Amino acid sequence: MGLVNFLVYLAIMMGIYGILSLSLNLQYGFTGLANFGQVAFFCLGAYISTIVVLVFKLPFIFGLLGAMVVAGVFGYIISIPTANLREDYWAIATLAAAEVVRIFFLNEDWVVGGGPYQGGSFGIGGIPQPLRSLFSASTYPFFYLAIVLVCLFATYIVINAITRAPFGRVIKSIRTEDNLPQVLGKNVKRFRMKVMAIGGSFGGMAGCLWAHYHGFISPNQFLPLETFIIWAMVIVGGKANNKGAILGAVIILLFYNSTRFLKDYLPIEEVTLASLRMVAIGILIVVAMLFMKEGLIKEKKTIY
Amino acid sequence: MTFTQIVINSIVRASELTLLSLGLTMVYDILKFANFAHTEFAVVGVYLALFLNVALGLPIIPAAIMASVATGAFSIIIDRVIFKKMRNASGIIIMVTSLGLAIALRNTIRAIWGADAQNYLVALQKPIITEYFRTTPLQIWIILVGLAAMFALHLLLHYTKLGKAMRASSDNPELAQASGIATEKIITWVWFIAVTFASLGGILIGIETYILPYMGFAIIVPVFCATIMGGIGNPYGAMIGALVLGFAENFGLYINFGKIINLGGILNFSKDILIPTGYKPAISFIILILVLLIRPSGILGKKKEG
Repeated sequence: MGLVNFLVYLAIMMGIYGILSLSLNLQYGFTGLANFGQVAFFCLGAYISTIVVLVFKLPFIFGLLGAMVVAGVFGYIISIPTANLREDYWAIATLAAAEVVRIFFLNEDWVVGGGPYQGGSFGIGGIPQPLRSLFSASTYPFFYLAIVLVCLFATYIVINAITRAPFGRVIKSIRTEDNLPQVLGKNVKRFRMKVMAIGGSFGGMAGCLWAHYHGFISPNQFLPLETFIIWAMVIVGGKANNKGAILGAVIILLFYNSTRFLKDYLPIEEVTLASLRMVAIGILIVVAMLFMKEGLIKEKKTIY
Repeated sequence: MTFTQIVINSIVRASELTLLSLGLTMVYDILKFANFAHTEFAVVGVYLALFLNVALGLPIIPAAIMASVATGAFSIIIDRVIFKKMRNASGIIIMVTSLGLAIALRNTIRAIWGADAQNYLVALQKPIITEYFRTTPLQIWIILVGLAAMFALHLLLHYTKLGKAMRASSDNPELAQASGIATEKIITWVWFIAVTFASLGGILIGIETYILPYMGFAIIVPVFCATIMGGIGNPYGAMIGALVLGFAENFGLYINFGKIINLGGILNFSKDILIPTGYKPAISFIILILVLLIRPSGILGKKKEG
């Protein structure tokens, strides 16, 4: 893999994870919802888009929209039981929901059209890339990068607009406590559910982009580990700050990918290195929570 | 599988879950945060016991006890280094920190011992076979250890000064402190007891099945589910929650929902509907959701505002 190709790959991953990080930031950073199941939206988006494009033979754009709608609806539904509850309940309910989504795609191979060695634990391959025929093999990654950046930009604009609107002020007050927004006549439960739906649909968008870039998805790409990496991005970058969320994605991915080359210099096996990388991510979360609660880019305090 | 057999399997599972959820609920009760590293502490104990048992050649019982006590002590160190600095932080901050700790612990174990399944050196056991069920002496041991832990905790909470101080601190921390109860000392004991129990539970699961770095994550949803079902912060609730969940997990796969829909022949619905085995991990999730919808404060929980 040439250096340019690698950098384009890295930039695409940063874009996709940037979207995931922005989405989690809306839920955790701004609203205080401990969503420990972010990977569920990622997984759903990837599978729904694949099904729409591969099974129903519709164009990519329908796959993207389908992924966003289904992931958004899923976010709305899973917040029903916990909408009135404290953050501990959110954490475990979303964590479990993400596992159920993964178990579903692991067990139900018919959803992706069936056929030998397709679906279930085999995963599914041959996912078409949008407008692939218009580009040569060497220029296509640049085109895909452009798609990802457009999506990232759109996500940033939308989430920024939401958090600056009155809606944003309400969810920030929900983060602090329930009573104040309730006294002001705001339906706290509804707001939480809406935030989960909006965040979820962007998570679905990221999943769709991931699936069509790699051309292959399987349930074990969507382990809870992914959720924790996205959490590290939000915490390191700076919660409740959208630029911070993207910066976090860039930093964590740079760290994640640069440590890959360590195996050429250190006598450590690849598997051990992968574990050590996650140890570092875990320690990073703990250290950030202890000494750097605001993250790298602090939340802008606005006086209304 | 016979009815008696499913009952036995359920009780064994409940005993293992009890050991784990007791600790989770105790830590929640006194520190007011959901400890996502709880089951990972248990796995630390599991691998310490593996080291003592396999590398140093100790028999499994002393290895299990030594490893569990050492893990309990380890959790006190972790509390001093990390959680003590966060006593006044909000629950969500401490919870996210515990998540980071969980990731670090799980992967440290994986880096040291590898990702493959391993086993303790335990002599093959002659199963006890009767007409109705088949069990092993180990399963009877698991049930006994679970019962002993519950009984010990009950005695501790009600008949010792430490236990009374624990209950006082949980009921009203300020009042307890004002009455001269050293809260920090209580917290240290709670960590030690909670994690020692969890480690024992993990080791029992490890002996019965096999040992994996991911076993802590595999059990986190059932353990949380049992804890919440019983009423988070209530040790007796955790015991009942574990019992209900143990039965639900085992009976869930054998209930023919087709017959239930049939309503004893009123509807002519003859298809068999069983939960596929692949969905066994989802059972505790479904129960969790039902509990959250119907009674989030749990069976024995105090009614708290949400």
